Amino acid sequence: MTLTEPAIADSEASLAAGGADAPSASTQPVATHPVLAQPFVTSDATTVGRLFVVASLLLALGTSVIGALLSFGRTEAVDPADMFGGLNAYFRMWTLYRVSFMLLVVLPLLLGVAMAVVPSQVGAGNLAFPRAALASFWTWKIGALIVVVSVFAGGGWGAVDGVTGNENDAIALTLLGTAMVIVALLVGAVCVATTVISLRQTGMSLLNVPPFAWSMLVSAAVWLFTLPVAIANIVVIYADLRGRPAIAFGRAEGPDIWQQLDWLVEQPAVYLMAVPVLGIVFESVGAAVGGRTSRPEIFAVVVGLFGLLAVGGWAQDYFTAPQDLRDGLVYVAFGLAAVLPIVALAGGAGELVLRGTATPERLLDARTVGAGSALKLLGAAALVGALRVVEPFDLLETAATWAVFHGVVVAGLVAGVTAHLTWPDRLLTGSISQILGRGTVVLLMVGGGLLVVTDLISGFASDDQDLMALALDVNVTFNVINLIGSVLVVAGLAAALAAMATARRTATVTGRRAS
Amino acid sequence: MRTTALPVPEATRPRTVVVGALLGAAAAFIVFAGLVSVYVQQRQAARAAGTEWFPEGSVELGPAGMMMMTLALSMVTVQWAVQAARTEDRPHGFIALGVTLLFGASVVNQFWFVYADTGFAIDGGRAELLFYAVTGSFVAMLIIGMAMMVVATVRSLMGPFGRELAHGVQAAAAYWHMCVLSYFIVWYVVFITK
Repeated sequence: MTLTEPAIADSEASLAAGGADAPSASTQPVATHPVLAQPFVTSDATTVGRLFVVASLLLALGTSVIGALLSFGRTEAVDPADMFGGLNAYFRMWTLYRVSFMLLVVLPLLLGVAMAVVPSQVGAGNLAFPRAALASFWTWKIGALIVVVSVFAGGGWGAVDGVTGNENDAIALTLLGTAMVIVALLVGAVCVATTVISLRQTGMSLLNVPPFAWSMLVSAAVWLFTLPVAIANIVVIYADLRGRPAIAFGRAEGPDIWQQLDWLVEQPAVYLMAVPVLGIVFESVGAAVGGRTSRPEIFAVVVGLFGLLAVGGWAQDYFTAPQDLRDGLVYVAFGLAAVLPIVALAGGAGELVLRGTATPERLLDARTVGAGSALKLLGAAALVGALRVVEPFDLLETAATWAVFHGVVVAGLVAGVTAHLTWPDRLLTGSISQILGRGTVVLLMVGGGLLVVTDLISGFASDDQDLMALALDVNVTFNVINLIGSVLVVAGLAAALAAMATARRTATVTGRRAS
Repeated sequence: MRTTALPVPEATRPRTVVVGALLGAAAAFIVFAGLVSVYVQQRQAARAAGTEWFPEGSVELGPAGMMMMTLALSMVTVQWAVQAARTEDRPHGFIALGVTLLFGASVVNQFWFVYADTGFAIDGGRAELLFYAVTGSFVAMLIIGMAMMVVATVRSLMGPFGRELAHGVQAAAAYWHMCVLSYFIVWYVVFITK
């Protein structure tokens, strides 16, 4: 037995072995575990991937509910601070919403899809380091639990109105949980990247791997170059804080801690969530219309370029004067250039449609609708991002920042749902119905679109820089539209979970009848 | 004989454990690079404000130079271990892994001396806080590298000293070289340029 081979391969892992010449296809005897024990002992990448997907979608539902409450707070129906029990509590929810959508929802969702899909795409018997992948899931899960519990216990990423009692300890716990989550995601990314680099089928060059596998390789590389910088930030903050009044970086009297970490959810690092979306979009359109691209190497270059533009550890305005960083040529160039790969990918998807069977039925297939929706949201986010870095518009430090964030996050969610429509056998064991699939995607796209538009308008309308954008400053109508967008995202996620549960149940019932 | 009956040629791609270790080492190096970046930026800001970073004479170069020499030697011994594992030379492999571990332990010991010698307190100010954050992270990284060496040694004691183990030793060696590179940065940034 080598370090790379699982001790126990589940039945599905053996079935997934792509071919006899897969470099490390498992030949171990098949052993099965009781259903309840599987999440703790499985060495099957598909099972680990499904665990990531289900857990992240459940967290997505909770996070989107927080988002709807925050949007409700921006209407004039209630004082936002009173609604959560104080300004600090509002700040905690506001920051949790952002960090959670990135680290607890979209990244693990796409990582889970990759763990389930990529090994079979490259012809590997299983994921590289399957036990490490399972460890990454449980580390992520426990880290996520620590983050959520500590935030509700008075922790979070700093405060805006001073700290009392044991809140410093709770903040230290939140930082610990955040670091655990990031380390877990990095371990998962290493497993996926190693599978593509080292376990792909003999004769398959790196540039010939399927689009999603390539996009995940690029994503893993970009995550490895960016997320560790956040760990470095956390080390410095934690060394200063350690549950007691801090002297410099861990000060909780103001939003210093958040300001050291907010680069993670802003341009360019926010695009960390978007790179795998490109692969899902391309494969879903191709699968729906039955088309193949004539120039796969162009797709590889475009995704690689987009990945390069998502490397974001350098863009930390806490340590550099914000105006020095954000008026700099590199920051502006990154913001503007991010539009180009998405336009190029839209062109590539168009070519797939032209080369495939473009019947109305296939164009209205849930996979095509999902891919189109994800691409539109991503395009909208990149466009707002490009406007944001143009100085005359004066959109930096305004709600336009969150327009970009919302566009990318909801594109990631739509891509996650579309992946379930494209690879149902790997992710669900049953197919989602077309109507449910289309309905889910449309709900998410409309909700995400409303969030992007209202945040952008708020960015244009606001005169002063407001950290939490407590009000839209336009009129009540826009605040209500923003709330509707948030509610639609909640509804879309609920529909996605219901559709997946139905698909799985139907597959189980059909299987029982067949046997 | 039909060509379809020919044995499948062995894949010539880099081995899985080594690739995984290289990616992990790269991530660890980025953590370290992030820490050093904060350190350098804060020191520049302090100097620009006319503030002293470390008190004169508080950080000695001697022990830091000794650690650099020790780690440079450990790069040779770890490659010796890799070569021994490749050629299935068990005695040399054990000696090389043992000497590398000894070098690692001596560096941890020297850091203990440096911490006592400087007399810095972690809450003594930005400079002292960052000194501990950067060097403490390096010590943690080094201890992880030593743990990888111990695993490679134990596995070699329990099983065949062959090609499979060579990949494990190569993986540990790749991480070890990253640690030495990281210390080179610490040596230059923290101890030489102070």
